[in-house]
Amino acid sequence: MNMVIAQITLRQLLNRRRTLLLLLLAGLLVLIAIIFRATGGDGARALTFTGRLLSTFGLATLMPLVALLFGTGAIGSEIDDGTVVYLLAKPIPRRTIIFTKLAIAALCSILLTAIPIFLAGMIAAGGPADGLVVGFTLGSVIGSLLYCAIFVALSLVTGRALIFGLLYVLIWEGLLAALFAGTRTFSVRQQSLAFADAVANVPAHVLEAQLPLATAAVMAALIFVVAVALAVRRLGRFEVSGERA
Amino acid sequence: MTATRAGPIVDAPASVELEHASRWYGNVVAVNDISFTLRAGITGLLGPNGAGKSTLLHMIGGFLAPSSGNVLVNGEPAWGNVEMYRGLGLVPERESAYDFMSGREFVLANARMQKVSDPLAAATKAISLVELESAQDRPIGTYSKGMRQRAKVAAALVHEPPILILDEPFNGMDPRQRLHMMGLLRQMAAEGRTILFSSHILEEVERLAETVLVIVAGRLAASGDFRQIRRLMTDRPHTFTVRSSNDRSLAAALVAEPKIAGVSLDDGLLTVRTSDFGSFSRTIAGVARATRISLFELLPTDESLESVFSYLVRG
Repeated sequence: MNMVIAQITLRQLLNRRRTLLLLLLAGLLVLIAIIFRATGGDGARALTFTGRLLSTFGLATLMPLVALLFGTGAIGSEIDDGTVVYLLAKPIPRRTIIFTKLAIAALCSILLTAIPIFLAGMIAAGGPADGLVVGFTLGSVIGSLLYCAIFVALSLVTGRALIFGLLYVLIWEGLLAALFAGTRTFSVRQQSLAFADAVANVPAHVLEAQLPLATAAVMAALIFVVAVALAVRRLGRFEVSGERA
Repeated sequence: MTATRAGPIVDAPASVELEHASRWYGNVVAVNDISFTLRAGITGLLGPNGAGKSTLLHMIGGFLAPSSGNVLVNGEPAWGNVEMYRGLGLVPERESAYDFMSGREFVLANARMQKVSDPLAAATKAISLVELESAQDRPIGTYSKGMRQRAKVAAALVHEPPILILDEPFNGMDPRQRLHMMGLLRQMAAEGRTILFSSHILEEVERLAETVLVIVAGRLAASGDFRQIRRLMTDRPHTFTVRSSNDRSLAAALVAEPKIAGVSLDDGLLTVRTSDFGSFSRTIAGVARATRISLFELLPTDESLESVFSYLVRG
C-alpha cells in the first residue's frame, strides 16, 4: 500500500460526477426502505420485503454498478488520460500500485454499498431481523471486494472495461447465472448471497442461497487471487505506446 | 535564480546505452536497429513527427520493451526495472497531469513517490527552479500549456535524477519560458547530468544540444557534434512561415535582401526561403523594423525540416 497513490486514487474516484450518481442510487435504496416503513410495512411482510429489496436492489444492482465504476476507474482513467506514466515512472513495485488501487476502489465501493444496504435493511425490517441485515451487509462487503478485483483487472486487459464490465454484470450475473446452475458457481452475486445466508437465520422464502457456503468461499478466494494476479501481471507488462496514433 | 555550481554534483557518471535496439508494432517498424551511448551533457533527439522519437524515449524510459536489441540505463535493462527511476526523471509529451491537484500537490506527490528524504523542501526547490511559484496553489486544470509543461518538468526533477528524459519539452511554452527552460537544462547539464530531449524544431536543438541524434523513419540518420551536422543542414535553403501586421509589404521588402532565395504569399500565408539559416532571424527583424511592420510569428516549417532529414539520409 502506497499512501500517496491511495490519496491520488481517492481524490480521483470521489471527484467525478458519476460518484454523485452512485450516491443518488445508494440514497434511493434507503429512500425505498423509508417509504416502505412509512406506509405501514411491518411484521412478516417486512422481513420478506427486506430480503427482496436487499437482494435485488442491493446486491444485484447497487453493488455491481458501484464496483464497476470504482473498479474500472481506479487505474483505467489514468491509463485513458496518460497520467499513469507518473505512477509507473517511480521506484514502486507494480504490485504495490495494484494493491493500493484495489484497496481504495474496494473501500469506496464498500462505503457506498454496505452502508446503504445496512441502513435500508435496518429501516425496512425495523431492526437486525435475525441476522438478515448483517448477512446482506457482509455479503456486500465480500461482493464489492470481488467485483473490484475483477474490474481493476478488466481495466488492464481492455480499454473498454466499462462496457465489458456492464455486459458481464448484465449477461453473466443477470442472465446466465439465473438460467444455468453451473454458472452460479462463478457468480459473485451468488457467492455474496451464500455469505449473507450463512449469517442470517431467516426462512428460505426470505433468503435462500443457491450455493453452499464452502463452494462460495473457495470460488470467491479463487476469483480474487486470479483477478489480482492478472492485474499485477498486466501492469508489470504494461506498455505505454510511443507515437501518437 | 539558483547559481550554477562550479563542479559536477552528480557522483557516478550516468549512461544510457542502446545496442541495436528495434521496436516494431506488428508489421510497422517504429525504431530500427539503433545504437548509441549517452553520457553527461545535453543531447537533442531530432526528427520529424512520427519518426520514432517518442518510441525511442519510451523504450529508454522503461515504458516499452525493445522487440530486439538492448536498452540499458546505467548498465541495467530499462524494461521492467522500477529501481531505475530513482536515478531517472521523465517528462512525457502528453499534456495530461492530475487536473484536480494544484501544481504544488502534484510535485509534492511525485517527491513522495520518489521517496526523497525531505519531500516538502524538494518540491519547493523544484517549483522555484521552473518558476511556478505564483501558480503553485492553483489546480493544474486551470494551467496554460506552458505552465503544465513546467509543472511536469518540476515533477521530473524533484528527486534530482542524474538522467533526465524530456519528450518535446518546449511545446506550448512562450519564448521567455523557453529561454528559461533552456537555461535550466544547461545548468543541470553543467552539474553533470545526462539530459536527452526530443524536438521536431531544428532551432531548439541547435540552441541547446551539444550532441544530436537525428532520427528519420525509425533509423538513426546522423549523430554526433551538432556543429558538424548543422553544416550539412545549413548548406541548403531553409523555409520559414511568417505572420506579420502586413505580410504583403514585408514580402516585397524581403525580396530585396540578398540572402533571401524566394518569397511566396499563398492563401494569406507568407513563406520565405533563405540561403542563410543562421542570419535569417536578424535579417527579417531588420527588415521589419525598417518597414515598421510588426512580426507576430516566425516558424521554420516542417517541410524544411523534412527536406533536411531526407538530405541527411541521402548523404
